[in-house]
Amino acid sequence: MAALDFIKTLTIAASGLRAQAGRMRIISENIANADSTPQRPGADPYRRKIPTFRSELDRTLDTQLVELGKVQTDSSAFRIKYEPGHPSADSNGNVKYPNVNALIEMTDMREAQRSYEANINVIGATRRMIQRTIDILKA
Amino acid sequence: MAIADIPILSMLRARLDWSQARQRVLAENVANSDTPRFHAHDLAPLTFEESPLAASGGLTPVSLTRTESGHIEGVGLSQSPFRNGSSRTFEVRPTGNAVNLEEEMMKVAANQMDFQTATALYTRSLALIKTALGKR
Repeated sequence: MAALDFIKTLTIAASGLRAQAGRMRIISENIANADSTPQRPGADPYRRKIPTFRSELDRTLDTQLVELGKVQTDSSAFRIKYEPGHPSADSNGNVKYPNVNALIEMTDMREAQRSYEANINVIGATRRMIQRTIDILKA
Repeated sequence: MAIADIPILSMLRARLDWSQARQRVLAENVANSDTPRFHAHDLAPLTFEESPLAASGGLTPVSLTRTESGHIEGVGLSQSPFRNGSSRTFEVRPTGNAVNLEEEMMKVAANQMDFQTATALYTRSLALIKTALGKR
């Protein structure tokens, strides 16, 4: 009953950590592939991925957990550079580069980091509260 | 008379239960700080005048009964005896998310301090009883 509340708190915070870590993974994927050119001439290069979040009901604990939803793709236009000598250039000499903006990814990364730390803080605070409860026994 | 029936201890226990329930609500807010269309929740402040658990000191929410030993014990919905209060946030992000992380962290810290105060008072109250019993 009520004693389960701290466990629920920790589970919720852990689900937040997992979701933010997954978001970080997708961001790193985007940054790593910022210059991945197409495989064949005229084909599309790497398309930027966007992480989504959704809440999910954990039936055993009756709590709303957060988890990483379906990974969406960014539909914005690719960067096009004129490089006639490039192996992936189309007939006009244009090469499509991924629609990844390093600045946006960095900002996103900071945000993920901030949310991650917030969840860590919740876990720390809850841990100290549990410790206080145990301290009653020691008195 | 059980030790939990002593008024001060039962009140402190209600306070601890409330802090614990609030910590869960706050954790939900923080974890969902990037979920679209999520609004922050909070518990209504604990008052002893109208609280049903303060008078008796016992928490008896409605719960599911296990009828077969092989079944998993169910957790009833809305089992928390505490009222849900609304949390007013002053900004809603374009995704429809209305969680202010700074505000939530302040609440977590305040909740932790409340909890520590209550546990310290609980320890003191127990010491009081020990004094009355006489030192061994």
